[in-house]
Amino acid sequence: MSSGDRRDRIRGAFTGLAIGDAAGWPAARHRWNLLAPWTRRLGRELDGFAEEHRVTTLPVPFALNQPVAALAVGPSDDAEWLAWTARTLGTDRRAAFEALGEDVRARISVRTALDNLARGVGPPASGHDNPHFFDDAAAVRAVAFGAAHPGEPDPASRAARADAEITNAEDGVHGAGAMAAAIAVAVAGAPAGDVVAAALAELPEGTAIRRAATLALALPGDAFALVPALDATLQDHVYSYGVAAAQTVAVALALTRASGGDLSRAVPAAACLASLADSAPALTGALTGAVTGWTGLPETWRERVRNLDGCCLPDLRGADLVAIADRLSGSGPAGTAHQEGLG
Amino acid sequence: MIEFRDRARGCLLGLAAGDALGRPAENLTPEEITRRWGRLTELEPGLDGGPAGTDDTEYAIFAASLLRAHGSALTSEDVVAAYREQILPIDGPMKGAGFSELGTVQALRRGLAPPLTGRWHAHGWSDGLAMRAAPYGIFAAGDPDEAARLAAVDGEVSHSGEGIHGGRAVAGAVAAAMTGATPAEVVAAGLAVVPADSWTARSVRAATAIAAGPRRRASEAGPEGHGLAGELHDAVVARHYPWTDLAPEAVALAFAAYVAGGGDVEESAVTAVSLGRDADTTAAIAGALAGAGRGEGGVPERWARAIGPVRGACLPSVAGRDVREVADALVGARTRVRNG
Repeated sequence: MSSGDRRDRIRGAFTGLAIGDAAGWPAARHRWNLLAPWTRRLGRELDGFAEEHRVTTLPVPFALNQPVAALAVGPSDDAEWLAWTARTLGTDRRAAFEALGEDVRARISVRTALDNLARGVGPPASGHDNPHFFDDAAAVRAVAFGAAHPGEPDPASRAARADAEITNAEDGVHGAGAMAAAIAVAVAGAPAGDVVAAALAELPEGTAIRRAATLALALPGDAFALVPALDATLQDHVYSYGVAAAQTVAVALALTRASGGDLSRAVPAAACLASLADSAPALTGALTGAVTGWTGLPETWRERVRNLDGCCLPDLRGADLVAIADRLSGSGPAGTAHQEGLG
Repeated sequence: MIEFRDRARGCLLGLAAGDALGRPAENLTPEEITRRWGRLTELEPGLDGGPAGTDDTEYAIFAASLLRAHGSALTSEDVVAAYREQILPIDGPMKGAGFSELGTVQALRRGLAPPLTGRWHAHGWSDGLAMRAAPYGIFAAGDPDEAARLAAVDGEVSHSGEGIHGGRAVAGAVAAAMTGATPAEVVAAGLAVVPADSWTARSVRAATAIAAGPRRRASEAGPEGHGLAGELHDAVVARHYPWTDLAPEAVALAFAAYVAGGGDVEESAVTAVSLGRDADTTAAIAGALAGAGRGEGGVPERWARAIGPVRGACLPSVAGRDVREVADALVGARTRVRNG
């Protein structure tokens, strides 16, 4: 396959992740961070108002005396963390995290890992001594490592797992290995079935993530028909984190297979899983976007998610996600290709 | 010389008293606890007028009943059978249950078997096993490895990773305390039954080192410029996690309170409560360790008097059981093993 095809698929992985990120309802909450804190405080009060007055008109993010652009459909935390990972790929991973400012917003796993690093507790303990070691923060970042190793799932997984150990452990690390391996084969042109197989090979027997992925992949039906079955199969609804890798990676794999790698069928289905909508659509979008390729994605979405707003990583405000993806697909080893665009 | 039965009763009375003492302070900050009570030293009456223990005492009785029925032959399948018989049939809300208990129930209803039941839900690290692990230490008194093994058999159903380590540490430490070991020896016994390279071990080492410093109360400033509570929180509390039920944290705070309290039942439990967080569980663990060391007579008489049969508010199957009778039954179960 031509390098142009590979570039298109890497763009597709990044843009697909951002589309899924934007399509899930939590994106609007994350993007609300761009507005003044008192707006969100009033929003929390409106939640209480709706409860007290027994009204089903639930509050949504609003802009009072502030710019409204933040509340338009657009990418949020996952797209920004992927872009940050791609930009810092050549940096020692621990040093990259330690260089993050106080003003970032991140999952509980990452916030806790940053505390651990500051305490002098490095990887793998920084990811292990961590209440949310199981979340998918590293699985999102792993898309960059997969894209940096086209056709090489093993090196992609190794790099993603080393990065993942800073913030996660166990299922959180396996989820990252799975996403990196899957993206590595997808950007090299593999069909959806092979992409899913590459991910499954990273999930050890006896883990919750393996069990969840196996059950999800056994469900019959097309992507949208899978929604109630995925909810019933994967969620116990005791405590729905929305970002547990065992569930979100499993959803991404099942919908990638059920849609044959078609983002326009897979991502809307993922976004319908309300309790997993923070990142299951993003991971689904990364896999199907890589299989589909950037030129095959809806233009309306491509343009809407291209520029980041810095809602969680303020330094990324205005960054061009496609340009960041293109730096990864430059010729030569992954460690040098991306550095052209650094700084 | 304190008799074995006396230590067993002291352990479970200390657990029940710590549980009841900490209940009103659960999830409050040390500052808020100081503001409301100064030092919280008296068991507050519950809704029905009697002092209310919580899930800690009732689930510890559940664990003791497993030992009474199966002794050292206990298997995870036995534990699953007990869940199916006593816990799954609970209709409506599971009062007092933490996320790990309900997550386990849902995993069992789904048809999963251990160890996947403890991995399927995300709260494998909860302190739910640590809170009920003391009976394993009583049963295997003097043998921390065996106490930890039995706690892990129970824990495999509901927990994974650090949640099992936390239960093992408590069971092993109680097994040592039951021999009259010093607090330092008890902590060492708890640490010896968990991997040195674990969150639980790192947190217990850090917290007990702080607690072994100059004796002081939670609000009294230490060398770092703030109180014992502040130092311990800096060392072992996950700041960006919204709940307080992490086993590595709860076990570390409980062990630290026990060390700071010098193994005295009242001082250990009151100190644990003053640290806030999962105060009923941390005080229950500290009370169990200290009670095992000092025996029934070491439990303040006013506390012991207030501890009566449990109501079964969380676990209907244990309603009416008294921790003294449960302790005596554990002694009997152990004697049967020794003579058999």
